[in-house]
Amino acid sequence: MNILTEEAAIEGKNIIKDFQLGDTKTRVLKNISLKVIQGEFVSIMGQSGSGKSTLLYILGGLDVPTSGSVFMNGMDISKLDDEKMSRIRRQNIGFVFQFYNLIPNLNVAENIMLPLLLDGKKMRDYKKPLKDILEVVGLSDKQGHTPRELSGGQQQRVAIARALIGNPEILFADEPTGNLDSHTGAEIMSLLQRINKERGQTIIMVTHSPEAAKSSNRVITVSDGLLQ
Amino acid sequence: MKIILKYILTNVKERKARTFVMLLSILLSAMLLFVSFSIGVSYESAQRKMARGMAGSATVSVQSVEGGIYADDIPALPDIQTKAGIVEGTSLYHENGYYETVDLLAADMEALNQINKPRLIGDGEVTAFSGNQIILPDRFTSKYGIEKGDTVTLQINGTPVDFEVAEIAAYDTVFLRHTRGATALLPLETIKEVLGWEDGYSEFLIEPAPNSTTGNLISELKNALDNGRYRVSEVVNEAQIAADARQKSMPFFLISFFSLTMSIFIIYSSYKVITLDRLPIIGTFRSIGATEKTVTRILLLESLFYGCTGGVIGIPVGVIVLKGILQGMGKSLSQGIEIPVVISVPGVILSFAVAVIVSLCSAWLPVRRASRLPIKDIVLGRVEEKHIPRPLIVGIGIVLFIVSALLPHFASGTMLYLAGGFSLLGLIAATILVIPVFTNIASAGLERFYGAVAGNEGRIAARNMKDNKNVTQNITLLFISISAIIAIRVVGNFVTTYISDVFHGAELQGFADGHMKPEFVEQVKEMDGAEKVLPLYVFKNNVQGNSEPVSRLEGTDNLEWYNSMFALHYTDSSMSEQAALAFASGERAVIINEDCMKRGGFSIGDTITLSNGTSGNFYVVAGSFKSRATDAEAIIPSMYAVSDFGASDYGLLAYTAADPDAIMVQIRALFGETSNWSRTVEEFNNDALATVGAFLQPMHSMTCFILLLAAVGVINNLLINYIQKRRTIAMYKSIGLSNRQNRKMTLIEGFSSGLIGAVIAIVVSYMEIQTIFLVAGPKISMTPELDIWTFLVAGTLGIIVTLLGSIVPIFKSRKMKPVEEIKFE
Ligand SMILES: Nc1ncnc2c1ncn2[C@@H]1O[C@H](COP(=O)(O)OP(=O)(O)OP(=O)(O)O)[C@@H](O)[C@H]1O
Ligand SMILES: [Mg+2]
Repeated sequence: MNILTEEAAIEGKNIIKDFQLGDTKTRVLKNISLKVIQGEFVSIMGQSGSGKSTLLYILGGLDVPTSGSVFMNGMDISKLDDEKMSRIRRQNIGFVFQFYNLIPNLNVAENIMLPLLLDGKKMRDYKKPLKDILEVVGLSDKQGHTPRELSGGQQQRVAIARALIGNPEILFADEPTGNLDSHTGAEIMSLLQRINKERGQTIIMVTHSPEAAKSSNRVITVSDGLLQ
Repeated sequence: MKIILKYILTNVKERKARTFVMLLSILLSAMLLFVSFSIGVSYESAQRKMARGMAGSATVSVQSVEGGIYADDIPALPDIQTKAGIVEGTSLYHENGYYETVDLLAADMEALNQINKPRLIGDGEVTAFSGNQIILPDRFTSKYGIEKGDTVTLQINGTPVDFEVAEIAAYDTVFLRHTRGATALLPLETIKEVLGWEDGYSEFLIEPAPNSTTGNLISELKNALDNGRYRVSEVVNEAQIAADARQKSMPFFLISFFSLTMSIFIIYSSYKVITLDRLPIIGTFRSIGATEKTVTRILLLESLFYGCTGGVIGIPVGVIVLKGILQGMGKSLSQGIEIPVVISVPGVILSFAVAVIVSLCSAWLPVRRASRLPIKDIVLGRVEEKHIPRPLIVGIGIVLFIVSALLPHFASGTMLYLAGGFSLLGLIAATILVIPVFTNIASAGLERFYGAVAGNEGRIAARNMKDNKNVTQNITLLFISISAIIAIRVVGNFVTTYISDVFHGAELQGFADGHMKPEFVEQVKEMDGAEKVLPLYVFKNNVQGNSEPVSRLEGTDNLEWYNSMFALHYTDSSMSEQAALAFASGERAVIINEDCMKRGGFSIGDTITLSNGTSGNFYVVAGSFKSRATDAEAIIPSMYAVSDFGASDYGLLAYTAADPDAIMVQIRALFGETSNWSRTVEEFNNDALATVGAFLQPMHSMTCFILLLAAVGVINNLLINYIQKRRTIAMYKSIGLSNRQNRKMTLIEGFSSGLIGAVIAIVVSYMEIQTIFLVAGPKISMTPELDIWTFLVAGTLGIIVTLLGSIVPIFKSRKMKPVEEIKFE
C-alpha cells in the first residue's frame, strides 16, 4: 500500500453501543476501534446477531454510538446535528442495503439522481455522470424504468449507482448480495470489486458469504461485540 | 387458528392510534348517518305538524253544508278516537297603522287537549278559562309588546271588543299556521257571544282510532251522514304534506347521502391499508399451513368486530347528538314549534347495517385479493401495489363522467329522480376513477412550478405524487369531503332562501294590500324617494277561465315592471317578449301561471273565455309563468280589467324606493283607519325567518359534523399513509434527506394534494349541484345562486385540513430511526 493513500477514510474509536429493551440493557458493541484506509475494500463478517449491521450503521452515520466517536476527514460525525449529518450522507457517504431500498414510483434515473437532487443540484448538470454510472452498473438501457420492472440484481445495481453518483468517500454495503441468488450475487460482487479497483472507491461491506468476502482486501470479524 | 386471533389482538393493542382512528371513523360514520337520517325524519314530522296546524292528530273534518253542527250529529262510530267541536271566526288587530288578521278559535278544551294540546309559555295548564279572556301566541305578543294580563282590542265584525290576555302560548299546536296573521284561542261561550253564533259548532275535528285509518273513517262517516247536509273531508292532504316536507328536508338526506359515500370510502381505504400492512403475516401464516379460508375468515371477523363496535357505540351517541341538536333548536324556539325527536327504526337499522356491511365488504375485497396472492410472493415481500392508471379505467371514468353529467338533462318524470341519483353516484365514481391520471398530469405541471419556486425538494415532492397510491387516496377522500361540504352548503342555503324568502329575486321592496283609489296611488308616486310604483287590480275567486275558477286575477298597465317586481319566470324565455308585445298591442291577452294552465288544460295561443259570471270575453293566452312572489294565477292588461270586469279601486300596490320604510310609514298614514295589510319586504322576511330560522339551525350543525367526519377521515388517511410511507421516508433519510427537507417536502405534498383535491371537488360539486337542481327544479320556481366564496372557503378548508394532517407525520418521522425501518423488512 502506497504511503499517499495511507490516509484514514474513516476511523472508529472506542465505539460502544447499548440497546435498551424494556428494563434490560444489552451491550451489542463492546469497545470497537478500527480504521479504514482510503481505497480499501473491507468486509465485515461474523455470526448473525453479532453486531455487524449495528457497527456499519454507526460508521455510516445512520445510527449513533452510546459512546465513542467516528472520525471522517478528521471530523467526529457521531455528534453532528441532523442537518449536517444529512449533508454528509448526501455528499460523502453511499449506502447499499440488502433490500435495495429504491423509491418505487421514481424511475431508475430519478432514483439514482436522488442524493444529488436533495443536495440542490440540477438534473441537467449531471447528464454525463449519470450516463457514466449507468454504464458502470450496466443499466444504460433501463433508465426510464421503474424499480418494479427490474430484477433483484438490476435493482441492486440501481442502488449501487445511487450510492456512487455523488462520488462519496466511502461506500457502505450491508449484505448487498443477501437477497440474490449466487450467480447474481457474484455479478454484484465483481461489480463492487471493479469499482474499488478502477475508481479507487473505499468500500465497507457486511457479508455472510466467505465467497463475497474474497473480493475484498481485508476481512474484519465481529464476535461477541468485539473485533477478532 | 387461535394464534392468528392472538396475533390480531396484539396488533390491535400495539397499533392503538390506528385502531382508534379506524374505529372512530366507523363510529362517526354510523353516528352521522343515523343523525342525518333521523333528523330528516324528525324535520319531516315537524313540517307535517306545521302543515296540519290546528288539527293536530285529528285528520278528518265534518262540517254542515249550512249553519252549525252539534255533537249529536256525529255518529258514535268505534273508529272515532276523539271528536273536538270547534268554532271559528275572524277579527282584525290594529296598531300603529299595522293591520293583522287574527283568526279566532274556540273548542271543547278537553277534546282539544287530546288532539292538539296548546303549549303555554311557562308550561302551565289552561284552567278557569272564561269570560273575555284570550290566549295569544308568543310570536304575536312579542311582536306587539303584549304581556300576560294586558288588554287587547280586536275588531270583530267592525266592533271593537276588549280581551284580557289570560295566557301566552308557544307558536305551536293550534297556533301554528302557514298563512300570515295569528290565531287566538277564546273560551267557547265567549266566542259564541261575540260572533253571535248560536248553532252548536262550526266544525268537528275527528281523530281516528289507533287501529283505523283516515280513509276508512271518512268513508264510514260519509255512509253514516246525510251527504246533502254534511261535508266530510280530510283535514290536510297527507300526500301533499309528505311531498312538501320531503323537499324541505332534502338537505338532510343529501347529508346522509354524502356521509354514506364518505363512510364507505374511509372504511374501505383503511382496510386496504391494514390488509396490505398485514400481507407478510398473511403470507407467514399461509406458509405454515393456514388455509386461504381460515385467514380470510379471521380477518373478516376482525372487521366484523370493528363494524359492530362502531355501530353499537355510534348509534347511542347519535341519539344523544340528535337530542342535543333538536333541543338546541327547541331552545331557540321556546316560543315556537316543538320538533319531535323521531328515532326511526329504519334509521337505526340502516346505520348499523352500513357500519357492519361496509366494514365487512371493505375488508373482504382486499383480504380476498391478499389471500389469493401466491404465498411465495408475499413471503419474499414482492407484492407492491401497482397504481399506474390504466387507459381502460380512465376511459370508463371519462365516459361515466360525461354520461352522469348529461343524463338528468334528458330524463323527465320519475325517470328524472333515477337519473339524478345515478348522476350523483356516477359523478363521484367517475371522478374516483379519473383522479390518478389527473393527479399525474397535475404533478407534472406542479413539478415545473415547484422546481422554479421551491427548488429540488419541491420538484421531488411533486414528482413523488405521480403514480403514488397514497396521494391519490388522500385526494379522493379530500375530494369527497370538500364536495360534500359544498353541495350541502349550497343546497342548505338554497333551502333557507327558498323557505324564508318568497320575494327572492323580486324587485319590489314593499307592498300595500287594501282598497286604493287612483288618487291614493298618485300620492304614493309623489312621495319623496318613491321609485317604481306599480298599482294592480285584483279579483279574488270571482273570475273563471273557460269554466276553471281562477283564484286570483290581476290587471296591470306595465307588464315589464310586473315581470321584474314579482320575479316572473316565464316557462320559456321568448314568452316574455311575446307577452309584452301582446299586452302592448291592445288586444285581450292573458298570461297564466303554470298550475292554472295545467288545471284548465290551456295552451299558449289558445283563446279562452274569462268571465265573472255576468259577462265574458275572449282572451289570447300569451304566456305562462311561475313565481313565488305573487299568488296571481292570471294577469291581464289593466284596461280590460276595467272594461270587462268593472275594476275601479286598486287592490295591491308594489313599490321600490330609496327608503322603503319611509314610504311604508306614509302609506300606512294614508290608509288611516282603513283596514290594510302593508309591509316592506324586509319586515315580511323577518317575520318569515322567525318561523323557519330555527329549523335551519340543525342543518348548520350537520355541516359541522360532515366537516368533522371529513377531518377524521383525512387524518386517518394521513396516518395510515404514514405507516406505509415510513419505509420510503427511511430510504430518503438514508441517502441524506434532512428533517428540514422532509418537512418541506411533506408540506408541499400536503398542500398539493389539498389543492388538487379542492380543484376537483369544486368542479365536481358544481356539476352535482346542477344535477340536484335539475332534479328538484321543476318543483321550485327558483334557480340556485352559486356563491363563489362557498367554493373557495370549502377548498381552502380542505387544504388546511391536509396541511394540519401533515404535522403528525412530520413529527413522527423526525423521531424515526431510519436504521430500524430499513432493517425491518
Ligand atoms: N433496535 C434494536 N433494539 C434492540 N436490540 C437491537 C436493535 N437492533 C439490533 N439489536 C440487537 O443487536 C444485536 C446485533 O444486531 P445486528 O443487526 O447488528 O446484527 P447483525 O450482526 O447484523 O446480524 P445479521 O447477520 O443477522 O444481520 C442483535 O442481538 C439484536 O438483537
Ligand atoms: Mg445485519
